[in-house]
Amino acid sequence: MTAYQLAEADTSPAWCPGCGNFQILKTIDAALAEAGADPKQTVLVSGIGQAAKLPHYTELKYNVFNGLHGRALPAATGIKTANHALNVIITSGDGDMYGEGGNHLIHAFRRNIGVKAFVHNNQIYGLTKGQASPTSDLGLVTKIQTHGVVLQPLNPLATAIIEDCSFVARSFSGDPEHLQQMMVEAIEHEGFALLDILQPCVSFNKVNTFKWYKDRVKPIDSAHDSTDRDAALRLAMQWGQEIPIGVLYRSDRQSYEAQQSVLDKATLVEQYYAS
Amino acid sequence: MDLNIRIAGEAGQGVLTTGNVLVGALAQTGLYVLSTKSYMSRIRGGLNWFDIRIADEPLFAGRQRADLLVALTDSALDALKGHVTENSVVVHDGSRIEGVIGIDLSAVAKDAGGTDIMSNTVAAGCVFGLLGYDIDLLCDFLENRFSKDSDTAAKNASCARRGAELIGEQHRGVLRPPAPADAPCGVISGAEAIGMSAAASGIKLAASYPMSPSTGVFTVLAAAADEYGIVVEQAESEIAAINMVCGAAYAGAPAMTTTSGGGFALMCEGLSLAGIMELPAVIVLAQRPGPATGLPTRTGQEDLKFAVNGGHGEFARIVIAPGTIEQAHLLTRHAIEMAHKHQTPAIILVDQYLVDMQKNLPEADNSYRPIDRCVVEAGEGYLRYALTDSGISPRAIPGGAAPIVSDSDEHTTDGHLTEDLVVRIEQVDKRLRKLDGLLAEALAPERYGPEDAETLLICWGSAYGPAREAVDLINKQGGAVASLHFAQPHPLNIEAARRAIGSPERIVCVEGNATGQFASILRQAGVIGQCDLMSRYDGLPFTGEEIARRLDK
Repeated sequence: MTAYQLAEADTSPAWCPGCGNFQILKTIDAALAEAGADPKQTVLVSGIGQAAKLPHYTELKYNVFNGLHGRALPAATGIKTANHALNVIITSGDGDMYGEGGNHLIHAFRRNIGVKAFVHNNQIYGLTKGQASPTSDLGLVTKIQTHGVVLQPLNPLATAIIEDCSFVARSFSGDPEHLQQMMVEAIEHEGFALLDILQPCVSFNKVNTFKWYKDRVKPIDSAHDSTDRDAALRLAMQWGQEIPIGVLYRSDRQSYEAQQSVLDKATLVEQYYAS
Repeated sequence: MDLNIRIAGEAGQGVLTTGNVLVGALAQTGLYVLSTKSYMSRIRGGLNWFDIRIADEPLFAGRQRADLLVALTDSALDALKGHVTENSVVVHDGSRIEGVIGIDLSAVAKDAGGTDIMSNTVAAGCVFGLLGYDIDLLCDFLENRFSKDSDTAAKNASCARRGAELIGEQHRGVLRPPAPADAPCGVISGAEAIGMSAAASGIKLAASYPMSPSTGVFTVLAAAADEYGIVVEQAESEIAAINMVCGAAYAGAPAMTTTSGGGFALMCEGLSLAGIMELPAVIVLAQRPGPATGLPTRTGQEDLKFAVNGGHGEFARIVIAPGTIEQAHLLTRHAIEMAHKHQTPAIILVDQYLVDMQKNLPEADNSYRPIDRCVVEAGEGYLRYALTDSGISPRAIPGGAAPIVSDSDEHTTDGHLTEDLVVRIEQVDKRLRKLDGLLAEALAPERYGPEDAETLLICWGSAYGPAREAVDLINKQGGAVASLHFAQPHPLNIEAARRAIGSPERIVCVEGNATGQFASILRQAGVIGQCDLMSRYDGLPFTGEEIARRLDK
């Protein structure tokens, strides 16, 4: 049998030069190190999309579960439930988390399991080459949305706050220092964390460019009380000339795993042969 | 010698309560008891019935004809009059109709010091009285059932006695009840057999979206969760459920989901994920008639080909279709073991008829005996998807010395995605080699009846009981029939199937579907040629009498 012999494993990034994913990739390694996460005790979970390939490219070697499109959240929920001692980090895109996996996201807010979702939000579908995403701005013209996007963009952060997601933050791939800080805070948070990461797509989104974001993102005023849900919601509603980045909202709701009495003594994996 | 008791009425009237009390209490007499449920997809109204068959010898299926019909409504009486014969006895709540024993259950309950809801207990008392079984056994059963509330217990016992006195003593002898034998006292349902076996075998995460008729199994797992150490999660969808199962299995906790056809359809991408990631995902697929929503609370065997073929791409799986409650218990464990040993999905294919069936059986061993997860410690240079002769690569889990990388993309031996098309072929071949191992351990079909039978009834799953009873009925009349039951429809050991079938004059495939799905699988594999199909797809199960009658035609 003959077959094409290409490079063995595709562990070098498949991203375009200048893609925001590169900075996110670098920052994840740094953030996990800063948070003191042992790579052996860390699982990177992803769905499908350009962002979802990230777990294959990290400098440090983590455990990886690169599952189905839109299904990173339930898979991560299963992993965290089986072994809640693991750090479980999702790295996926806006299509994966806000489109295909939207239903899971709503219920992840409710469940509040200690999984951290880093959503690379470039407001466009990259892997499928340039169709609108759930966060594309109104009027964005693509090869499919030929008359411009008419669906109202999803506001993931406002939705999260309304559903009392226990950690809601936004950052920008062009501000690695801020991004790292947000990732560390998310990793250190006990329950579910949503970190929306604005990121340019150099190939397919000619509107929301690096400069477009750079000119608009503005760190949230240090006077903001992130436990004030109304204030957080007001920040989440801001989009356009000024886009707030930082921790919008947090609450100290008990995590899912803390409420499972079965998990009190040990992880499910540990107690398997013992109980 | 057997007798079929049918309690019929509207949903919400207590058909289920009366039925369950009778099953539990009759099992205390030493009789063999088997119950089946027929109900509509509604919480109130309609027509539901609960059958309790009692006999002096083991039972394997229900019956269509009722020897004793307890009708709680006029409409139940009307709808089921075709199911009784001239020898049947009918008890009717309320009116006075000629040839029917009338009783005002609610009035009797109140008169006996009980409440309206204890009409159900009066009805149970009537049945005991009519059949002449020891009413103390029913009263003791009720006192046990309500042991936390002595007042309720006493009132129920009083209602039961009054029902037995009023109806029983007046009409005793109208039916010839079977004599108590030495059958066990403990009653177990198909759902309990599967759920408890899974709990005892070490399932640690049960994630499901409720769907009839699978919900019973999920409920059993929830009830067992604290004792056995199980996290039970009601997922937001079946898609979430199967992906949770895949995640937990990857991380090292045996995991299961329960669903029916429509939910399984949603799970198919996740099933395929378990195939390529080589995860031991365990799925209980309790069938009901389709397509789409179909008949939500009825039974059927329409999803065999779907279970065998569902999910895109090609990968090994095992499909187990138990025929009895005992098999459901044993084979649930077997399916979980096979899934872990071969690192591939296992589907336990049952149906409404079997999961809702109850029977008194010797107590099963439900002590916590976790199966071998087949997990290894990863060492230096560990490769999760290493190429092996068996196709099984030693499985390590996250948290050890080596990172565990699993991908839904085609991947290299270390789990990273690849488009190396040589590696692709190697991994496909590796995964499919697991079929050889599964085949080597395939369950042999079980034959019932004479070796030299002229006619062979081939069945799978829950058709076992009706087919077996048909064999006995026919052979008692001088026939020469045997049945052959396949508890593992897939993968199919073709040689073993061929040997077991032999060369009977006539082969009849008995299946709860319209198209003969297993017959088609057997023909496709070249195991059989032409055969007759006896199908049933009205949403009700086969009965032994029905198969015997239809075979005779």
